[in-house]
Amino acid sequence: MSKTAQISERTRRALLLAPALIFLAVFFVMPLVDNSARSFIGEDGSFTLARYTAFLTDSFYLGVILETVVLSAAVTVISVVIAYPVAYVLVRKAGRFSGLIIFLLIAPLLTSIIMRTFGWQVLFARRGLINQWLVTDLGLLDTPLRWLNTPGLAIAALVHVLVPFAVLSIASVLQGVDRRLEEGALVLGASRFRTFFEVTLPLTLDGIGTGAILVFMIANGSFVTLVLLGGGFQTLPLLIYQQFNTTRDFALASTMSTILLVIALACLWLQLRLVRRQGA
Amino acid sequence: MRLTDWALWLFTVAFFIFMILPIAVVVVISFTSAGFAAFPIPGWSLKWFARIFEYEPFIDSLWVSLKLAVVATVASCVLGIPAALYLSRSRSGWATTITTFLLSPLSMPMIVIGFASLFFLSWMGFGISFLALAIVHTVICLPYVIRTVAAVYRAVPPAYEEAAMILGASRFRTFQEVTLPLIRPGIAAGSLFSFLTSFDNLPVSYFFGSAQTNTLPVVMLAYMEHQFDPSIAALSTLQLALAVIALVVADRLYGIEKMTVAT
Repeated sequence: MSKTAQISERTRRALLLAPALIFLAVFFVMPLVDNSARSFIGEDGSFTLARYTAFLTDSFYLGVILETVVLSAAVTVISVVIAYPVAYVLVRKAGRFSGLIIFLLIAPLLTSIIMRTFGWQVLFARRGLINQWLVTDLGLLDTPLRWLNTPGLAIAALVHVLVPFAVLSIASVLQGVDRRLEEGALVLGASRFRTFFEVTLPLTLDGIGTGAILVFMIANGSFVTLVLLGGGFQTLPLLIYQQFNTTRDFALASTMSTILLVIALACLWLQLRLVRRQGA
Repeated sequence: MRLTDWALWLFTVAFFIFMILPIAVVVVISFTSAGFAAFPIPGWSLKWFARIFEYEPFIDSLWVSLKLAVVATVASCVLGIPAALYLSRSRSGWATTITTFLLSPLSMPMIVIGFASLFFLSWMGFGISFLALAIVHTVICLPYVIRTVAAVYRAVPPAYEEAAMILGASRFRTFQEVTLPLIRPGIAAGSLFSFLTSFDNLPVSYFFGSAQTNTLPVVMLAYMEHQFDPSIAALSTLQLALAVIALVVADRLYGIEKMTVAT
């Protein structure tokens, strides 16, 4: 009796899990493995590391990897620094406005990346709203500034896409902070600033970490914003896009996507470690 | 109020101006009477919404995008709901690993998924077809359904189902009359996220361009590379309106708090 029950439990498990597992194994894992494998196979069909040695010794391509990571890191740091005070207001100060704040955070997530870049282009065009304010209305400048195709605007647009994720993950950790710890510090005579920097902030470091990795991962793979807003960046996703579109050197594109994949896997690993620590 | 509180609020208001301004500008421009995209607008008109329906590629691709989002969402539910139900009741470390794997498409760069799938699915004989695109969209939508349904189901006490079974209901009847009604908000939210994710996707769809597979975002991107007129604004506004309506309807039906237990 118990044996048949056990078997049926095992079949049940298999039936429930198998469709999703098989689907992702075939249509998610295999394409990625196949793609990486192609970067290790030379023209003559034998195994080769030539593309990676060429890639990793070429100063241009090393620069591209560095630029990808530095750009994502910059976007991440800016997003987290901006997100923290907003998350703090949302959790601690907003009261009856918290519903409105959550709505305003989620609404931009419903807009397409095309809509946002279109908005940036209109706002920051040579005769756009921002230049009109600066030159005509406020008289701060004599001539309109060139914003489009500057690195600053591209970074601002990336932050705009990613900062809600940072706010939401920091807010969820702030919510879990035991406020008695802060009260304890205050009662014992610590100033509000000291309480924040020595109690609240350290308690939310894990949340900042999770949010930061999330933002970093998405930033690392984004290219639509950079294609449309320019900024002169040369990142891995942009180069893959260009290889696919114009140069059509697919082996090189496979090499670059494998490198991008390795960075993503490293982030995923870090994220899992952080989450596990939070759980413990 | 303390000075720091004032500073915090000021910062928050500035933050939301930064968040909302680029979007609000597009909404306003979609109602412009001018022939070009500039702000402020000289007058109001609906002609750019009419233009959407006159430009055939927009309508064709809108149709492709809608079909695609529906197919990917249904497939994600069929594959994802059973897995989510099993995983949220299992506490072993092994189940955590499986969950991590099933959610991992969310963490991989979309451009790599798109590029790799194009070659692999062509090799498998799917080529650049609606079916191929639907398969890749299901890969990226599936995690949303699994994550949301699992989170909602985890919050349901097992006692409800146990009670039904003790009272003699079969496994199937328990599922149909107890489990399903309880996880419906999760399914609704997961489907909504999945639909919006598919409908909005550009980095994956981009690689599968053909007359049958050009989605709305792909056509919009191509259009923007040559023209900069308010029809893109009108389309974006329409898209945003649809998303907001879907969210409000889901909220009325199930309540936003219930649906966001997951996030």
